Amino acid sequence: MNFIKRAWQNVIFKKGRSLLLIIVMTVIMIFIMAGLLIRNAAVTTVNTTKQQVGATVSLTANREQAFSKMRKSTSTSTDKTTKPTLSMPSVSLASAKKIAKLQAVANYNVSVTTSVNASSIDAITTSSSSNSTMMGGGGPGSEATSSTSTGDLQVTGVLNMSTLTDFKNSTNKITKGRALNSSDVGTKNVVIESELAKQNSLSVGDTVKVKATTTGKTAYTLKVVGIYKASSTSSTSMGPQQSDPSNTIYTSYTLANQFKGQTGKVDSATYTLSDPTKKTSFLKSAKKLVNTKKFSLTADDSTYQALKQSMTKMASFANKIVWLVAIAGTIILALIMILMVRERRYEMGVLLSLGEGRAKIIGQLLVEMLMLLVVSLALAGIGGRFAGNALSKQVLSSVNSSQTTTSTSTTSQAGGPGGGGQAPSGQQGGKQTGGQMQQAGQTTANKAVKSSDLKLKISAVTLLQLGAFGFTIIAFAVLLASANILRLEPRKILIG
Amino acid sequence: MMLTAKNVSYWYDTEANTLYKDVNLDFEAGRLYGIIGSSGAGKTTMLTMLAGLDKPRRGEILYEGTSLQKIGLTQYRNRYVSIVFQAYNLLPYMSALDNVLTAMQITHSTQDNPTEYALNMLTKVGIDETLARKNVQKLSGGQQQRIAIVRAMCCSAPVVVADEPTGNLDETNTQEIIKLFQELAHDQQKCVILVTHEKEVAASCDVQFHLQNKTFEEVS
Repeated sequence: MNFIKRAWQNVIFKKGRSLLLIIVMTVIMIFIMAGLLIRNAAVTTVNTTKQQVGATVSLTANREQAFSKMRKSTSTSTDKTTKPTLSMPSVSLASAKKIAKLQAVANYNVSVTTSVNASSIDAITTSSSSNSTMMGGGGPGSEATSSTSTGDLQVTGVLNMSTLTDFKNSTNKITKGRALNSSDVGTKNVVIESELAKQNSLSVGDTVKVKATTTGKTAYTLKVVGIYKASSTSSTSMGPQQSDPSNTIYTSYTLANQFKGQTGKVDSATYTLSDPTKKTSFLKSAKKLVNTKKFSLTADDSTYQALKQSMTKMASFANKIVWLVAIAGTIILALIMILMVRERRYEMGVLLSLGEGRAKIIGQLLVEMLMLLVVSLALAGIGGRFAGNALSKQVLSSVNSSQTTTSTSTTSQAGGPGGGGQAPSGQQGGKQTGGQMQQAGQTTANKAVKSSDLKLKISAVTLLQLGAFGFTIIAFAVLLASANILRLEPRKILIG
Repeated sequence: MMLTAKNVSYWYDTEANTLYKDVNLDFEAGRLYGIIGSSGAGKTTMLTMLAGLDKPRRGEILYEGTSLQKIGLTQYRNRYVSIVFQAYNLLPYMSALDNVLTAMQITHSTQDNPTEYALNMLTKVGIDETLARKNVQKLSGGQQQRIAIVRAMCCSAPVVVADEPTGNLDETNTQEIIKLFQELAHDQQKCVILVTHEKEVAASCDVQFHLQNKTFEEVS
């Protein structure tokens, strides 16, 4: 134990050198700490947020099957003057509810889209010289023939507005009143857009009259319970036959069904899973409950996948930092120690002449470095978090920029889980909803990555990991420097 | 014999430049030996071989009849020999007392109260407790040399070798140090070997070896 005492005496005596070594080791440890914190935070973020972001599964009409049926009927039809009609089956509400009872489902929503004609109010009319050619992600709704006229207000009937992605990710915001929820089922409550409300001087509690475009053009008096503000960018997703997004009103799905003249049916159902990893087992169970020939179950865990991908990139980057700094740190410390050993060769010669073993001399160096490492670890514990925060922001922004590029390229692809909001009547509302859901899904994915504020937490495990790295680095550095000690000959050092 | 140089030959580069050839020297316990000779004659080289810091090119050094190679040089230095260097070679980050105590610990000293023993020995050579607790770099050259001697004396090694131990000391201190070495040899029955170029110091030794013309000549 004599060498430990010597190590302590030397560290205390050579204050300047000890301080310099502490600074060097602290810098190395801070970078390693930052890397470890980012890596651990990335892993933790994936684990904790997979419950939060979940995954969505949409139950919609099987479009491929519907098209195939349409083509079949066209080929067998003798009347060549009749245009083929795409008939999209509606989802049975009972089936949708049965699936909602499966264990993996955190919450669910149903969607019925249609349109109505404004009676007591004026819908917002838009005139544009150029038409967008974008169709959104919806599906063939607009191309389908309609047996009825299209209303000037788009109706989205839902079970719960808060689970709609546009509201979840704050693309749309409730500015007055409240959002619709399951308690509004069976009521004539409505949530309208703020521009529509402003144009018609409507406020929460007012009533509006609308007329259905089907079933004998029945008139309905709706009560405004909430006003929402749609994102200005929403208009960019408008299709050529669509009216302004401000004309979209939200009702309960039961009321939307009344407008369409149907009961017990919905256009689509969306299930949010509690854990994205349960997606496969959920799909397996859900497929047993529906006719998969008529309906399709499409999973969308893009948010989770996007998050996972970005976090994996972060973790990989952090790993590289850790290893690069560790290797560079070992080399730097080894060089310093080689110089230190050279400077202290007389001292070592004396110890060798006294009969001290070379192992103990190396041990003394190791203990000296360990003593300094303890101080460095404490400083790195304090500074590592700041460095980690700064570094993680840089890494996150670079990961996000590459993520956005990927998202942009995938957005151009049509179709997707939200595409099933097609009313049997072929109204364009279905298409709009589909497009909206698809776009919202992408936005959520990006938002999840951007807002995934990495929580860099210094835990005992992180400190232990840092300590292990620190010890390995100095052990390697001492070993490299020890080659000189092992070659030392006391006679040559002390006598010349 | 405690220490024996048997047919020792030594050269630096080639055998043609032999420093000395087939040297035979015997050293007994309880005696003070002085090796004297001109500069560059090879006095210190012989001392390093006797101290286990170097090996003869030919021949061998025996400690109580056993070759140092067999004992192991590190083991020999650790257990059987203490060395005093001309350049003191104290550990710079320690006090005088710690230097002595460190050497005692490394050489497994059997003293019951090592601190008291070390302080006593230091006081004997004029280093009081206040000085003993000061860092060695704050002491004069003479004081450092005395500490180096005490360090060698405090180790329980039966052989003490010293290279020009009084080279940096004044006459009074030199006399005191010589007295210490004599006590060490006569009272503690150690084998003390000094290398010196000072005739007065050599004259104080029990046995002198004059190194000249590549041969050691014993002068009693």
